[in-house]
Formats: sequence, C-alpha cells, structure tokens
Amino acid sequence: MSVITPEQVSPTATDGGKRDVWWMTWFFPAWYAVFGVIICLLTRVTPPPRPDVTAAGKVEFFAQHHLTIQIGFTLLLILLGGAAMTNGLVAYQMKRMSVGSAFAYGYLGGMSVGAIPGFLLVTVCFLTAAFRPDRNPELTSLLYDLGMLSYNGSLGCFSVAYLVLAIAILYDRNEIFPKWFAYISIWQIVTEVIATQMFVFDSGPFAWNGSISFWLAVVVFSVWLGALIVLLRRAAAAESADAPALD
Amino acid sequence: MQVLEQAEELPAAGNLKAQWVSLWTGPVVGVVLLAAALAFPGFWPPMSPTWSADQVASFYADHTAWIRVGQVTFNLCGIMILPFFTVIVVQMKRMKGQSHVFAYCYLTALVSGATIFALSNIFFLVAAFRPERNPELVQLLNDLAWIVFIAPVGMVVSQFVLLALAVYFDDRTGPVFPRWVGHFALIIAAAMVPSAAAAVFQTGPLAWDGIWSFWVRNGAYVAFVVVMFFVLRNTLRRQAIDEGVVAA
Repeated sequence: MSVITPEQVSPTATDGGKRDVWWMTWFFPAWYAVFGVIICLLTRVTPPPRPDVTAAGKVEFFAQHHLTIQIGFTLLLILLGGAAMTNGLVAYQMKRMSVGSAFAYGYLGGMSVGAIPGFLLVTVCFLTAAFRPDRNPELTSLLYDLGMLSYNGSLGCFSVAYLVLAIAILYDRNEIFPKWFAYISIWQIVTEVIATQMFVFDSGPFAWNGSISFWLAVVVFSVWLGALIVLLRRAAAAESADAPALD
Repeated sequence: MQVLEQAEELPAAGNLKAQWVSLWTGPVVGVVLLAAALAFPGFWPPMSPTWSADQVASFYADHTAWIRVGQVTFNLCGIMILPFFTVIVVQMKRMKGQSHVFAYCYLTALVSGATIFALSNIFFLVAAFRPERNPELVQLLNDLAWIVFIAPVGMVVSQFVLLALAVYFDDRTGPVFPRWVGHFALIIAAAMVPSAAAAVFQTGPLAWDGIWSFWVRNGAYVAFVVVMFFVLRNTLRRQAIDEGVVAA
C-alpha cells in the first residue's frame, strides 16, 4: 500500500489535472457527507430501525421521527442526482484505465439501476408512510418493510458494479487505482452476498440490522468509501491537464 | 437535412443521421405523451391528495378505461423520448476544453431519472387493475404513483446542473451550445426543485396537485424539451456544415 503524501493529492501539484474532474472530485465527499447526515441523523434509516417490531411499533417509529423523516427524505429527493454524479466520476476514471470502456459502462449501468431500489424506493416508501399518519397500521408496516428491504437489500446492482471495478483495477496498466483497492471492492461483494440473509431472518446477526448483515457491511463500506475518496483525488491529480478528452 | 452525395459514406454522416433521428423523437414522442396526458382523467384537474380512500377508489372505478389509456401510453412511450436526451450527451462529449466527466455523470443521471418515471405509471396501472380492491390499498397505490411521478426531481435537477456546468466549461470561441443554455438549464432546475415537497404537503401550491408542483414543474420540463429541440437542431446543422456533411 502506497502512502499518499499531501503533494500528490494537491490540485496544484504536478501538472494539476483537469478542472472539471476536480469539481466532481470535490463534489464526491461533499455529497456523501450530506447523504450521511440525511440517512443517519435525519431519517434514521442508518443504523436501521428494528425489523422485529409489530405494526404498532413501526407506526410509532414514523410518529417519533415524522418531521425529520420528511425534511431528510425531501432533501434527498432533490439531491438524489448526486449519486449519479459520484458514480459518473468513478466511471470516468475507469475509462482512463488501459482496459477500455466496457467495465466503466458496466459500473455506470449497475449503479444507475442501483439508485432506484437502493435509494429512491426507501425515500418514497418512508415519505408515503409519513404522508398519512392515520393510514391503516398494516399498510404503514408494509411500507416500512418495503423501504428497509429495498434500501438494505438491493444487492446485485451494486455487486456487479464492484465486480467490474475490481476486475478493471486488476487488469489496468495505467495505475489509475492501486491493486489493493480491487480487493476491498471484492469484500464489498462478500458483504452483499451475506446480506441476502436479511430476507430470511427478522432478528439476530443476519437480520437487516444485524451484526453481520449490517455492521460488518458498514465497516467494509466505510473503508471502501474512505479509500475511494482519497484515490479519486490521487487519480485526478495524476491526470495531465492537457490530456485529450476520452472517446 | 440533405446529406451531400460525396459525404454519404463518411462516418460523420452516419453519426449526424443518428443524432438527427434521435432529435426528432423529442417532438414526435412529445406529442404522443401530451395526448396521453390529455386523456388521463387524473390530470384535469390533478387528483387531490386530500381525497379519502373511498373517493380515490371510486375515481379509479369511474374512470378505469381512460386511466388505463393515459398511463399505458406513458408506460409504452414515455421512455421513447430518451434518444432525444442522448443527443445532449453526444453534444456534451463534443465540447472542448473539458474531460467529458460531466457527460458521463449526465448519462448516469439520465438513466436513473427515466427509470423513476417508468415506475410511476406502474403504480397508477396497478391501482386501476382492480378498482374494487380495498380502498385503503387503492389509496396507497395512488399515493405511491403521485409521489413517484412528481416528487423525485433530483435526477433531472442534476442533469440540468451538469448541462450548465458543461456549457460554462465549454470553449469560449466555438461553443457547442450558446452560453444562455446554461443559465436556462439552471432556471428550469430551480423551477423544479420545490416540487420535491409534494411528498409532504397535502394542500397548497406544493401539494402534488398544486400550482407549483404540478403546473410549474411539468410546464418547466416541457419548456426545456421544446427549447432544447431548437437549440439541438441548430447545433446539429452547424456540426453538419463544419464536418462537410451538408452544404452551408
């Protein structure tokens, strides 16, 4: 693992990189910071509320966090496109690799699909539940389960994106991303495979809030995301400012 | 667009023909979608979020056929307008002085945004499939349909922002789009942002049947497609002349 020095990541270092790529590279952590505030502090979907509660308990959850769910998820409806922008940036860097565009387009495709079950559905389900607090508790409970299972349980669209990213990094000779990042991406797939169990268990380590299905995945995801933020900066800095635009 | 005989076999001619056909999906599909919107009873006036479950269910029971006509047409033809927007992607990738990262982000947002639209008509159609279902369930499907239709503006807002950024980063001497297209895209984005609140408010201008969330939001989007049709038509003509595909 190479150590990144401040000189390497500074936009003014070497020959600087491209200005528009830098814009997106700065946007990347900014968007995830806002996203983190929305899902952790406002809407309370991460860490997730319990799967093993009665319908009345779920209604109680929506009543307790009514205002912050509405504020947070309305904000996310506006900012949802940030997910597409961050994924487009990763696809751009993948296109700079020596392996051509196929993996980059695969990443772009997987992530474009993933945004809908992975983010949009939980947003819509929770806002719909909060929209009519007097709705039949059985239906509110359905929206709770649908939202949580689609948010935590959208597995394949992200797995394919991690898979093509990992393969692209391993084959790449332009050293856009270091090889060790491919192995972290493969661990992301492992957590997605384990998370299949949340469709079976409603309590315990494999439930959607469980120590293995959720907390292990959070640790791996945090390492992956943190590394990606740093590596995107490094890749942007390493790009020549006057390199020709990609096909 | 009359392609010059000596240019027929050039790759540039094929590229421009593809863009020209894609461009025309805009007005053609636009007219079909407008007809579908006129046929859909739920838009005249837009159904109120304050209706009780029984009112919603009887609306679906009374207007089943036309609800199906409108939403099946949205379902079948809505995404056919996608090629129109891919012309914007192709043109963003012609812009000089930038890496085209904005174009890839735009394409990603375009696909996800279209998928959201594709979901909403399914909810409308499932509600109309069995109007005799428990009214609470019809109301739930109707809520989901309207909220998915109106509120998730993020994917299109980011498209407008990315288009504006690309225009502002474009070469000043020979820009692909005139600079005002960037300002225009940001104005449309600003007009659409407030309708995200349609997922919260049941009355007032921001409710899904409100003056802002329904009329201004959808009007702004239609205005964008109409204006961009003429902008893209001019851009394609200029590209065709520059590349020797048509006579100046």
